Amino acid sequence: STGGTLIRQAVKEAKPVFSATSEDARRRVLNLYRAWFRQLPYIIREYDVPLTLPMCRRKLRENFEKYRQVNDIRVIDLLVAKGQMELVETAHMWKQKTHVMDYFKQTVSPKPTDFLGKFFDGKEP
Amino acid sequence: ISQHAIQRCSQWRCYASASSAGLSQDKITERVMTVIKLFEKISAEKLTIESHFMKELGLDSLDHVELLMAIEDEFGFEIPDQDAEKLNKPSDIIKYLCEKMEVDYK
Repeated sequence: STGGTLIRQAVKEAKPVFSATSEDARRRVLNLYRAWFRQLPYIIREYDVPLTLPMCRRKLRENFEKYRQVNDIRVIDLLVAKGQMELVETAHMWKQKTHVMDYFKQTVSPKPTDFLGKFFDGKEP
Repeated sequence: ISQHAIQRCSQWRCYASASSAGLSQDKITERVMTVIKLFEKISAEKLTIESHFMKELGLDSLDHVELLMAIEDEFGFEIPDQDAEKLNKPSDIIKYLCEKMEVDYK
């Protein structure tokens, strides 16, 4: 390189999404949990959904536990933003019953163990 | 966050002084301990006034939030986040409530 040119070192720091510290992010997460928790009885009533309050609370806890080990503040902020968007859509009744029941959809169907089950599945016994 | 959340039906009047509303530290203690005992994640045997929620009773932060929400519902006012972080034992909660509701704390 030509003499006299300075090598500029880019300061490698990520711009924050919402929160500047992890304390801030933690507070956002807990507030989101609180808001969802308070909204649950109204969701059950307004969507006339065949769920009980304990089921909903367990599902809420499950969805929060899914991201328990995330430590990156920007990722936490994005997850909180998405959760907040879901809450707003659900609370305003912009969703329908099926969208609420989607939270409880089984994503893994149990594999058949007996002969007939496997036969109907099309797999070799 | 919770614009559409709850319309808290405030059917109780705010009395001028706490004592005329029948509040004393003992009554507050009783109500707080009842709320905490009703919380299923806490075993009633290990519960004392000085037991730490996270260290001794094994609650995590979300459980702590749920517990404080139950207490907010019982006493009818919201506990802000900065205060909520410090309430780690039943005695802390009782002291905080006594300060907020202007009851003498001994």
